[in-house]
Amino acid sequence: MTARADTIRGWGFAAPALVWTAAFFVVPFVVMAAMSLATLDGRTLIWGLHPDNYLELASKAYLARAIVVSLEITLTVTVVSVMLAYPLAWIIAFRIPPRWQRLALLLAILPFWTSYVVRSYAWLLVLARDGVVNQALLGIGLIDEPLTLANTRFATVTGFVHFFVMLLTLTIYANLVQLSPNYRKAAADLGANAFQTFRHVVLPLTLPGIMTGAFLTFVLCIGDYITPQILGGNTELTVPQVIMVQLGRRADFPLASALAVVLMGLVTLAYLVMSRWLRLDRL
Amino acid sequence: MTAPVTLERIGHSFGSLRALDDITLDIAAGEYITLLGPSGCGKTTLLSVLGGFLTPDAGRVLIGGEDMTRVPAVRRPTATTFQDYALFPHMTLRDNVAFGLRMAGVGRRDRRARADQKLDMVGLLAQADAHPHALSGGQRQRVALARALAVEPDVLLLDEPLGALDLKLRRAMQDELKAIQREVGTTFVHVTHDQEEALAIADRIVVMNAGRIEDAGAPARIYRQPASLFAAEFMGETNRFSGRGTGGRIETPFGAVDRPPPAEGPLTLCLRPEAVRPREAAAQGSLAIGPSRVRDAAFFGTHCRAHLTPDAAPDLLLVAHLPAVDPPAPGAVLDLAAETADLAAFAATG
Amino acid sequence: MTRTLLPLVYGSAAFVFIYLPVAALVLFSFQDGTLPVPPFEGPSLRWYADVLADDDLTAALLNSLGVALLSASVAVTLGFTAAYGLARHRLPGTALLRALLIAPLTVSYLIVGLGLLIVLQRIGIGLSLWTAGIGHVVINLPLCFAIIYASMGAQNVNAERAARDLGAREAQVVLLVTVPMLAPAILAAFFLSITLSWDEFIIAFLLTRFDVTLPVEIWSMLRSGLSPRLNAIGSLVFLVSVTAVILLELVVFRRRS
Repeated sequence: MTARADTIRGWGFAAPALVWTAAFFVVPFVVMAAMSLATLDGRTLIWGLHPDNYLELASKAYLARAIVVSLEITLTVTVVSVMLAYPLAWIIAFRIPPRWQRLALLLAILPFWTSYVVRSYAWLLVLARDGVVNQALLGIGLIDEPLTLANTRFATVTGFVHFFVMLLTLTIYANLVQLSPNYRKAAADLGANAFQTFRHVVLPLTLPGIMTGAFLTFVLCIGDYITPQILGGNTELTVPQVIMVQLGRRADFPLASALAVVLMGLVTLAYLVMSRWLRLDRL
Repeated sequence: MTAPVTLERIGHSFGSLRALDDITLDIAAGEYITLLGPSGCGKTTLLSVLGGFLTPDAGRVLIGGEDMTRVPAVRRPTATTFQDYALFPHMTLRDNVAFGLRMAGVGRRDRRARADQKLDMVGLLAQADAHPHALSGGQRQRVALARALAVEPDVLLLDEPLGALDLKLRRAMQDELKAIQREVGTTFVHVTHDQEEALAIADRIVVMNAGRIEDAGAPARIYRQPASLFAAEFMGETNRFSGRGTGGRIETPFGAVDRPPPAEGPLTLCLRPEAVRPREAAAQGSLAIGPSRVRDAAFFGTHCRAHLTPDAAPDLLLVAHLPAVDPPAPGAVLDLAAETADLAAFAATG
Repeated sequence: MTRTLLPLVYGSAAFVFIYLPVAALVLFSFQDGTLPVPPFEGPSLRWYADVLADDDLTAALLNSLGVALLSASVAVTLGFTAAYGLARHRLPGTALLRALLIAPLTVSYLIVGLGLLIVLQRIGIGLSLWTAGIGHVVINLPLCFAIIYASMGAQNVNAERAARDLGAREAQVVLLVTVPMLAPAILAAFFLSITLSWDEFIIAFLLTRFDVTLPVEIWSMLRSGLSPRLNAIGSLVFLVSVTAVILLELVVFRRRS
């Protein structure tokens, strides 16, 4: 087969997916970006290069506040999730016999596969005023009054951390087990204790994997609407929640688009900050 | 079932790398040819050109007298066995071997019979329903061979067929390959970098280097009188020393040999270790090396390998494979000679 | 002592944290009262009976299944053909094409849904399960492509060459050699797509109108607050997902090892 015929055939195979992605992802994305520069005159949409929406973002406190809230929640969730997931992945990788590891991992992340909406609802059950946690704490006499746990930022963060601990345990475990055990043996042989081995050998070698997981957490967390909406209530709004408010009540598509562009900007920023450690091709 | 192959002035480049440089070669129907050379010499590229996986930049490929240069692999009367065997892991051995027949539209019953016959030929009929992962390396190689032969190609192309096997198995399999080739009579073109394998198996060896053919001929001739210094050194260990061509004779450090030199002037001479032997064991008219002092010697089972310094050329350290008796002690003096027919001479370069 | 005790304590605490919401969900789905909070009364199956008798819920469940199956099939087919085209043929700018196909992975579902919503409204296409399905293909196609592309290793290339050498036409090579050899990756991509589509909320919420998928239906039930009904339907959904995951584990990964 000639090189030309080969190329034509290759296009034939790749074309459907490329056309699909172009038509239903690239085009909508471009239209949305253009929409963020349009403006509303009453109910009529005026296309063009209007900075109105972005100016509104800067001038209206509740919009700027949403960006701050989103960032605060996302960063907290990312850091806490990594710190909780790493020891768990470590235990599964190094403290559980190899033949049980797959099962242990499967069990550790099984609730990951619960429906996202259902999982947030389940946390609401746990954290509700007369829910499991409060009843338990009252029962053992640790508190006299039920704590306000649901409809707070704490609830949002807890719901997120639950989800991302499972995701990160999976990715960090995958990193730990592909590490040759000889590295740890060599470090121990050279006199490093368990902590030194971790600090100087295992951690640096797994850092790209951790960072990739952390980036994934950041992307998924900052763009999520469900968890803050169900668990956080309406005490404070994140960017996705504000977007949905614009779409729902006010049908302000240009402002919603501008907020979406800002969201993209935040993800890009996170990518740039973390890019030196990321190995996205290994996802 | 068998066909001659002619390669006419084949040339091919990958970017700036000249992978094949003006290759011309005639292969007779039913011949067993090995393409021998170090990695990167172009032998595998040449096999791809023969198999139709690669269209060369220049030249023509004729199989059975027909121009096949631009004919794709599917429509060539060739079949290839791959270095990693490329068996289909999801099919049984029988389905693997019958695959080509299935593609050709042969009916189920017929292709089953023919596949079984080929599996029987390679001694794996009992495992016909097994999957490739259950087999050892040597068995996989046999299945790959049976699969390629099942389509009854005129020419079978084997890319490093024994490369993944350990040494002992490789030696056993090469005898088997040769026997199968005799049985089916198909033209075999076999790529390898192992000169012992090539010597043992081929009717004719083609030595390649840097995209060119260095030498082509019968194994014994290539081994004893190679056409180039590269071929001489690639075919096995050799003693290299200088000589001169003068007056239609070859002058060596041990006296003249009455044979036309390849050129007048400085020569490079090569002598295989086993061509050096005790004088009393040498034939009449051989080249006398004379008394030589043993520096060290070791017993190798089939021979004694010794390093010696001839009195006639004290700067030289000869390697000799002497008869397998007790190794001579260091310092001992042996009287040596060499068959002149084993002396290879090349015009010195540079 | 700390070598075994500390990991044990931490591991147990982690499992309690991970399973706490699921346990509460499932336990109180058997509640014989109207509130899914302690104390537990029961067990009773009344809420399951209630849920299964709810036509809106069963319709939403069937919608979800349909959208998941169809969108996963499309995503895995497109992902496979694209991976085959890019891995096995010489195309100019392969790196760029790969990046384009992977790009939707880096964008949140909300933005994918918002973009599609804007375009669909502009060109006047009504929202339906079909438009939600289109959105689900957009988010699952990159995953399918990445999974299948990554498994198109070199050993498969020679098997395909061998098949071609033995007379197979392109379609036969793909169907008889490439697809069976890549079956584990293709199945993994398919199951993963089904699970993600089955769970997906925001795109389905934005892109459906009258007929909705199960997560959207559950979402609207949430407005009326905590109820053992929600626990029952949530437990059922969990059961379906877990079954899919365990099937995947058994069918795909066990066979590979």
